[in-house]
Amino acid sequence: MHIVVCMKQVPRDNSVKINADLTINADGIEQIMNLFDEYAVEEALQWNEKLGGKVTVLSIGPDDWKEQVRRALAMGATDSLLLSDPAFAALDVLGAARVAAAAIKKLGDVDLVLCGRNSTDDESAAFAPALARLLGWPQLTYVGKIPALEAGKIVAERHLEEVIETVEASLPAVASVIKGINEPRYPSLLRIRKVAKVEIPAWSAADLGLTSADLAPVLNLAGRVPPPPRPKGEMIDGASAAEKAARLVDKLMEAQVI
Amino acid sequence: MDFTANYDMFLTAEHDILRRTVRDFAEKEVAPHIRAWDRSGAALDGPETRQHILPVLKRMGALGLLGICLPARLGGAGMDYLALAVVCEELERVDSFLRVVMSVHTGLNSLTLFQWGSEEQQQKYLVPQAKGEQLAAYCLTEPNSGTDAGAMLSTARRDGDSYILNGEKTWISLADVADNFLVFAKTDPSKGNRGISCFIVERSMPGFSSHPIHGKLGVRAGNTGSVVLQDVRVPAANRVGEEGEGFKIAMAALDNGRYTVAAGATGLIQASLEASLRYARERQTFGVPIAEHQLVKRMISHMVRKLDTSRLLVYRAGWMKNQGRRNTRETTLAKWHATVNSFEAADDAIQIHGAYGYSDEYPVERYLRNARGAIIYEGTRELQELLQADFALGNRENRPLRRELPAYDPEAWT
Ligand SMILES: Cc1cc2nc3c(=O)[nH]c(=O)nc-3n(C[C@H](O)[C@H](O)[C@H](O)COP(=O)(O)OP(=O)(O)OC[C@H]3O[C@@H](n4cnc5c(N)ncnc54)[C@H](O)[C@@H]3O)c2cc1C
Repeated sequence: MHIVVCMKQVPRDNSVKINADLTINADGIEQIMNLFDEYAVEEALQWNEKLGGKVTVLSIGPDDWKEQVRRALAMGATDSLLLSDPAFAALDVLGAARVAAAAIKKLGDVDLVLCGRNSTDDESAAFAPALARLLGWPQLTYVGKIPALEAGKIVAERHLEEVIETVEASLPAVASVIKGINEPRYPSLLRIRKVAKVEIPAWSAADLGLTSADLAPVLNLAGRVPPPPRPKGEMIDGASAAEKAARLVDKLMEAQVI
Repeated sequence: MDFTANYDMFLTAEHDILRRTVRDFAEKEVAPHIRAWDRSGAALDGPETRQHILPVLKRMGALGLLGICLPARLGGAGMDYLALAVVCEELERVDSFLRVVMSVHTGLNSLTLFQWGSEEQQQKYLVPQAKGEQLAAYCLTEPNSGTDAGAMLSTARRDGDSYILNGEKTWISLADVADNFLVFAKTDPSKGNRGISCFIVERSMPGFSSHPIHGKLGVRAGNTGSVVLQDVRVPAANRVGEEGEGFKIAMAALDNGRYTVAAGATGLIQASLEASLRYARERQTFGVPIAEHQLVKRMISHMVRKLDTSRLLVYRAGWMKNQGRRNTRETTLAKWHATVNSFEAADDAIQIHGAYGYSDEYPVERYLRNARGAIIYEGTRELQELLQADFALGNRENRPLRRELPAYDPEAWT
């Protein structure tokens, strides 16, 4: 079984600044593997331990994203692929999906693509669906459990707001996973040393046969401002905890929250 | 801001992945419990019965932290001595008791076996220690002998193929938890420092007992205690180095132990700074966040200075270890500088937190209590001061040792 995990590097916290040209300035902020992608990596590794085959971490980004790729390799991924090209600098989500789709087609033997349900920086949650559409493969979103994975078939639980849906799809397929599907492992220290010198293959737009028309954004950023600060909370006074609790209940009933 | 950025002259991407891993471990598996664990130490009375200590140490072992800078062939993770510093920084950023484990298990005990131990001793003790299957401690201090280690009273009398050990060691980190102990005792009390030898003692050996110290100011989440040796028969094969070489071995061990203390203190400075930054941005007085008051800014800027200077001194010592160079002077300087500064940084962190810093609702009072110990153990501040002056005055030089700490070898260690 060949599982590809799409992995993105994101700033650790969202205290980023916004540059004059509307780009994000994350200088000085630690870069980490997107939280949801870590679950995707772990899920791929667990299935790989059962089924054998390959786990390829795929990332679209500049050279300095290699550290997160190496982190995934140190967790246990067998293969890696960086899709890197100056032309990829301003991709929108559809463009990014086109780049990944081209790479996955070029890899050829892929059975399953796992993604995080969204990235914690852009938060579009559209990457996995777009990728599935471009590949023409089934898409399974909000996957909270994969009860079965075998040659040609995946069974997945989709954890939706109100219900848990069990769906079956033929492979190849694209699935996006949610937090809590597993407990991601720490990188193995022994593997950190071993993967330090692994050559991470990099493919450019030309390698993927992509033209500037394929990469042109369909979504243009017109503005970007930080959200207004959260309104201040209200402190409830009272002589005792019981009195404070009673007043709180009154307020909540007044506001028709309870 | 990422305070660990721009150290590429020392660190590689491997260290960054390691740092992230250790930070995740400490933040996820220790930070949520640390206040309760720390409080449990204040309440401890009678024998060490606390349930959190062993599982955390075993987790650290399973992750490979306890053998971080030992070759894979000896059960280690095959990383370098700078990796040891990174581990210590990140552990003490959450709590000192985690770093103390690295100091005694890895720095003082395991690296000593790596430097001085025979092949058999390494296979029997170092390999399980590097894998974290057995825990290790270091017993130099006695009730009447601390800074003046040569004044120790413990004895080791040769008896056929073994030695009979008697004495009391105190203030021993992991006394009630460790499996193996490096014990220093006099084989020839008439010879002073030259009459000291070093032994590997197992807890399971008849005549060995331990009990915890109660009412410590800091490192309350961890175990510290006394070890009593009553006619403990230790095979001669467990003597590390030659007879009479114990004092040199004890001092060489401190070159590694102090390095971990210095790195840990750097992590504690960073924790104090980070807590202060968070609080200073939130807390308002006179209509503005206190971060806008100049005198608060001064405390923050001094913490930054202390952090960077400590880290640079630690990494220099680590770099020298990687090269296989003797680093007594540089390590001692790093230890002195970082520990004294970590106490000051924690003190300022409390000041920034005002009254809230004075209770364990916030972590900074724990940082202060924890930081205080490091100005005493592994050589007091005064001892480090004397050492620096003596190096500068030419009264002291590093004579070559019979066995030096092996330089880092990326090929052979992996
Ligand atoms: C939390 C903790 C954990 C510890 N863990 C261990 C451990 O695992 N293993 C171990 O062996 N020990 C351990 N120790 C013991 C520690 O190493 C000793 O406490 C330390 O070496 C100082 O010895 P002492 O306490 O006997 O003080 P003393 O040596 O009695 O010193 C008392 C004071 O006199 C000063 N002084 C002494 N001699 C001089 C001098 N020549 N010139 C100027 N000033 C001087 C000292 O600086 C100090 O201020 C630990 C201690 C603590 C607090």
